[in-house]
Amino acid sequence: MNDVIGGTVGGRVLREDAWGKVLGQAAFPADVRREGQIYAVAVRSPHAHARIRGLRLDEARKAEGVVAVLTSADVPHNGHGVLYRDQPVLVADHVRMAGDPVVLVGAETPAQARAAAGRVEVDYEVLPGLFDPEEAMKEEAPALHPEIHGGSNIVYHLPVYKGDTAKGWAEAEVTVERDYQTQMLDHAFLQPEAVLAYVDERGHLVVEVATQYAHYDRGEIAHALGLKFNQVRVRTRSVGGAFGGREDISLQIMAALMAWHTQRPVKMENTREESFYSHSKRHPMRMHYKTGATRAGKLTVMEARIVGDAGAYASWSPNILRKAAIHATGPYEIPHVRVDAYAVLTNNPYTGAMRGFGAAQPVLAYESQMDLLARELGLSPWEVRLRNIYRAGSETATGQVLSGSVGMEECLKAVKSYLGEVSGR
Amino acid sequence: MKIELKVNGVDRRLEVEPEERLLDILRERLHLTGTKEGCGEGECGACTVIMDGKTVNSCMVLAGQADGHAVTTIEGLGKRGSLHPVQKAFLEEGAVQCGFCTPGMVLSAKALLDRNPHPGKEEIAVAMSGNLCRCTGYDRILKAVERAAGEVEQ
Amino acid sequence: MKKRGRGLGCAWYGTGYGNGFPDVSSAFVEIHDDGSVSVLTGAIDVGQGSSTIFAQIAAEELGIDADEVTVISGDTDTTPDSGTSAATRHTYNTGNAVIKAVTQAKAGLLAYAARALHCTSADGIELKDHRVRVKGEPARSLPLAEVVSQARLDGERFLGSESYTARTTRVNPETGQGSPYWPYAFGCQVAEVEVDTETGNVRVLKVVAAHDLGKAINPLQAEGQIAGGIAQGVGFALLEEVQLSEGQIKNPSLSQYLIPTVLDTPEIHAILVEEPEETGPYGAKGLGEPAMLPTIAAIVNAIDDAVGVRITSLPATPEKILAALAGPSKT
Repeated sequence: MNDVIGGTVGGRVLREDAWGKVLGQAAFPADVRREGQIYAVAVRSPHAHARIRGLRLDEARKAEGVVAVLTSADVPHNGHGVLYRDQPVLVADHVRMAGDPVVLVGAETPAQARAAAGRVEVDYEVLPGLFDPEEAMKEEAPALHPEIHGGSNIVYHLPVYKGDTAKGWAEAEVTVERDYQTQMLDHAFLQPEAVLAYVDERGHLVVEVATQYAHYDRGEIAHALGLKFNQVRVRTRSVGGAFGGREDISLQIMAALMAWHTQRPVKMENTREESFYSHSKRHPMRMHYKTGATRAGKLTVMEARIVGDAGAYASWSPNILRKAAIHATGPYEIPHVRVDAYAVLTNNPYTGAMRGFGAAQPVLAYESQMDLLARELGLSPWEVRLRNIYRAGSETATGQVLSGSVGMEECLKAVKSYLGEVSGR
Repeated sequence: MKIELKVNGVDRRLEVEPEERLLDILRERLHLTGTKEGCGEGECGACTVIMDGKTVNSCMVLAGQADGHAVTTIEGLGKRGSLHPVQKAFLEEGAVQCGFCTPGMVLSAKALLDRNPHPGKEEIAVAMSGNLCRCTGYDRILKAVERAAGEVEQ
Repeated sequence: MKKRGRGLGCAWYGTGYGNGFPDVSSAFVEIHDDGSVSVLTGAIDVGQGSSTIFAQIAAEELGIDADEVTVISGDTDTTPDSGTSAATRHTYNTGNAVIKAVTQAKAGLLAYAARALHCTSADGIELKDHRVRVKGEPARSLPLAEVVSQARLDGERFLGSESYTARTTRVNPETGQGSPYWPYAFGCQVAEVEVDTETGNVRVLKVVAAHDLGKAINPLQAEGQIAGGIAQGVGFALLEEVQLSEGQIKNPSLSQYLIPTVLDTPEIHAILVEEPEETGPYGAKGLGEPAMLPTIAAIVNAIDDAVGVRITSLPATPEKILAALAGPSKT
């Protein structure tokens, strides 16, 4: 063990903040406070798809301790999003997913804020929802975002076509074809979202938060509130895990809006349940794979169709399904490839970045295919991979020649002895 | 209602609401924010504190139930330069990443070693199983507790 | 009956934003009187350890220790935009920006030192072990702190402000052809599982993980990324699922959405494969996301090896495994 405080490249250097973390001193956003702070709570839609016919806010406004009750009318530019600003800060009329925030209540104590939030009345006209991406991508399906994403719910499609698949099938002596399905996942970082927002002595809006990208947050806050970038300071506190779930805006703009509106420091803290509803999810993907190889164990062809459920807002879906398409072959040279990947809007919770970012889901498919092929060929799973893996100079399905570091063979060789001969069958 | 409790060796008298949790009075009234809230239902262990020698999830203990008891939070362990052996082991094994689970983990490990200075691997794992971590994969946390057990022994 | 099996999973991962989008990281650097240094970057340490990596890189470049480097990050009032903490990009992308900014900051220092050490060119000067030395003549050297403070008294300032942009191209939207990512990371894992044929329960006993990360700037943190990735892979393969009904989440709590506990995670053996990437800082690529990718497949393939059922829909719950064991279409 050679852990050191000092040290340079290659050293087992300890993280400087570890001391503060073992001592309980590290400040996550829920741990910071400001004199006179109020607490804000979002009223979220219980319905996945609805029109808002009206709001009744009188009871909430009269409730004990209430400082302000804000709606979409109070948001100067009511949209945010990493690729498209298709996600409202507060919904004006069209609810697209359960958990969409509609009204923001600020009060002197957390209990008062939650009590007042319970007195907000929203008149919803519940609409039929689209919950199956295969249904949502049909031409006759109603479009969920006609203004921003046009008449189709297919928010992205990428073909990756290489070579001539007919030739590949002619060369294939063994074929494996399967359907695969991955599930929706939550990042479940241990620290639920929290924000402290206030206007400082310069008149600048300060937002203390745990985020993956402070500069992006600043831009979205400034845009929504109609402020200059230099009037908004986003300061990152300790971040209790992220894994992609802190890329999109969650509470930042709402807390900033309440602070700007009331000129009081504002604290927002998600419960775990609110956290589930206020950040993205991992895309469930349906993947149809058909792979062909020669008797000698060389891959000749692969076809795949990948459909990812984008949920109610685009977030990073185009980039994620692009990444899925590009990585769909796995780390194997295949001369003839045809992949089509789609991201489809539905009324499910919106999906976005999560560790692996679209390159994770296809691993289930392409690695299952390799084992199934190995069985058909009478080769070991290890051997069939060795005969096809990328090496320096290999060409990927996108035609990219891997010119530099390609340590695939070393990795494969490093784990070989652990595969052993164990088999329950 | 009025309660009296000892927190990190200091006597505290507080007027509390019936629905207030031990977690709330530690964080909001005493500003001992090393105790974290991760789930509010006793599942994640981020709010672990030691009450009369036993670990509890402070989100599941009403302030009234802490009346007359002694509570140790992460702030009651070591200080910079004089870390508790468990804190030192967490550092040295690289068991800290995002750090949100760390205070609860450290306290669970401390309580275990206080009642059994020589726990086996299995016993360590069981004792730590009420504390969730999403970053580290627990690997180094287990090694840290084993290391701390070795140091406590000396 | 409990049956054991082993499975192999391999994966690749293109790091960075990719697809021709400008993936830019930036850093500001100032070298202080005593040879310690500040690095300012928007790159946020979300627990993965990026700030430590930047401190180590700056220390290496200046011949000092990482604890003499303060990394200030993620504050829009003080730090330059360095892109998001995602895409396994900070070690490679922001690490390169830090090297460039430190190189710029120390250029004047090397020139000043060359004069002080009567060397004809700054190229002949190196920074090592807190000293400024003539290359090939280590005895001819001065303490770094002495040189910096003297230089500052002479009015010199050692500042750096640099950016680094990863190289990619946009893929053709009709064919997908192009060079969308660079560099790529690779990994292979072997999982050993035990399947209870009566309950359908799967225990992952051990995972051996070999990952090509280019260069381990900090092996301790690299091993931590692998262990954490494997735990999330176990959750993905066996436990986790956001259950929906008409778009509503049926299990929005940690008592219903189960993530791995210490009892669910396997013994882990990490192997760091260092196939240097010439464009990476000291050859480094990245590891954060790739660490979890092979786990999913290694577990599914190990289940098949153990009990002869092919799970094609995740998570591989006991119910699915029992159904597959009982089913007629056993593969």
